[in-house]
Amino acid sequence: MKFGFDEYIHLGSPLHRWDPRFKLIGLMALIFSFAFVRDLRMLLAMVLVTAALYVSSRLPVSFMLTRLRYPSFFLLVVILMLPFLSGQTILVSIGPFDVRQEGLLAALLIATRFLSILTIGLVLFGTAPFLTTIKAMRAIGLPAILTDMALLAFRYIFEIGDYLHRMETSMRLRGFRERRYSIHSLGILAWMGGSILVRSYEHSEWVYKAMILRGYGHAAHPRNEFRACPGDMIALGVTLLIAAGFIVGDILIRI
Amino acid sequence: MHIPDGILPASVCAAGYVATVPVTWYAIRKINKEGDPRENIPKASLLTAAFFVVSWIHIPIPPASVHLVLNGLLGAVLGYYAFPAILIGLFFQAVMFQHGGLTTLGVNAIIMGVPALLSYYIFRLRNLRSAGGRIKTGIFGFLAGFVAIAVSVGIFVPVLIFFIPSGFDVATERAAVLTLAVAHVPLMFIEGAFTTVVAVFLHRVRPKLLTAA
Repeated sequence: MKFGFDEYIHLGSPLHRWDPRFKLIGLMALIFSFAFVRDLRMLLAMVLVTAALYVSSRLPVSFMLTRLRYPSFFLLVVILMLPFLSGQTILVSIGPFDVRQEGLLAALLIATRFLSILTIGLVLFGTAPFLTTIKAMRAIGLPAILTDMALLAFRYIFEIGDYLHRMETSMRLRGFRERRYSIHSLGILAWMGGSILVRSYEHSEWVYKAMILRGYGHAAHPRNEFRACPGDMIALGVTLLIAAGFIVGDILIRI
Repeated sequence: MHIPDGILPASVCAAGYVATVPVTWYAIRKINKEGDPRENIPKASLLTAAFFVVSWIHIPIPPASVHLVLNGLLGAVLGYYAFPAILIGLFFQAVMFQHGGLTTLGVNAIIMGVPALLSYYIFRLRNLRSAGGRIKTGIFGFLAGFVAIAVSVGIFVPVLIFFIPSGFDVATERAAVLTLAVAHVPLMFIEGAFTTVVAVFLHRVRPKLLTAA
């Protein structure tokens, strides 16, 4: 079972070459500055910055479109509901439903912020191996317990996912119909979940022994895994300035 | 029950992260006091991965299906590791499936993680007077699963409705809160039942897995 997230890490764009630590700090600051935007006049700038970053990352558009499949349901709900439920100023009536200006603008703000943040997230995690990004998190000070757990959990998700897939196939071949709801079927699914937990627990005992044999917990984490060049720092400075620009711009426009 | 990016204002997202820091610190402090973390980290990590995968199991509720949150079960099995496990699980979901969000990671961690710790305390009560048997494991398993979702909904719904940038009037807000809360009631019972069956299963097959609680 693969998610294809590391599919485009070889592209060699400036964003691929950017030191993961600086990229993490810079793009997360940008993401938060996007969340800060409340004025609709800032949306165009947000879309332009997002598009510029995505184009410079050389990630294909198809990568973004496949990633949008799941969140598009959420977008659809927001776009369909807010204009009809929120606000007082009626723009147009469609049968018994009124499209309201305030709701329409709120839906536009949410959808644009959502898509921009999601796209920057794809650039952040699609331009470096996922494990490198987690190591970068450790390098910038995230507790070792969190990063160790994340690295190990990520390593085994795919294996356990394949196991779940095999179990579901076996159950279907034995006549289990998961489309029917009953207490019995809920019990069977819970047993399947329990079996996965037991199997993972047993596996973890072997993993622990293997890790201890390799010196886990005794060797210090390598310190100089990342090396930044002046270009990395300049890129970080520029990104932080853009992020600050969004925050200050939004405040000034709203005054 | 994941709040996506773009919905909440930056101040609420930041508050979520600020609230997550002391809870994570508290959980890690408790973990470091409990035995050898070197031994427990591989177990907690693999179980985190397993919980992540088990949450993909869809429970059919015709005509649709729901996937489970499992924060109550996480609390019951992982104890204090449940909070970091949820934080990591939410991060993976945001990055891999764009489910939830990066700016809302802190808020979502509070929504799911704090009830998980509460469930851990509830599930631990099964050993209060005597070692928990099968029936007590089932009862406290149900309570852990049910209460975790109830508390999560109790945080999720107001945060979502009151901070969404819209011009809802008071009546619409009240109706939305009530509708969303009522819509989650079946999920509370399903999570309670699922947690009961898994807890009893683990009690029979691998009781060691429940020793954290």
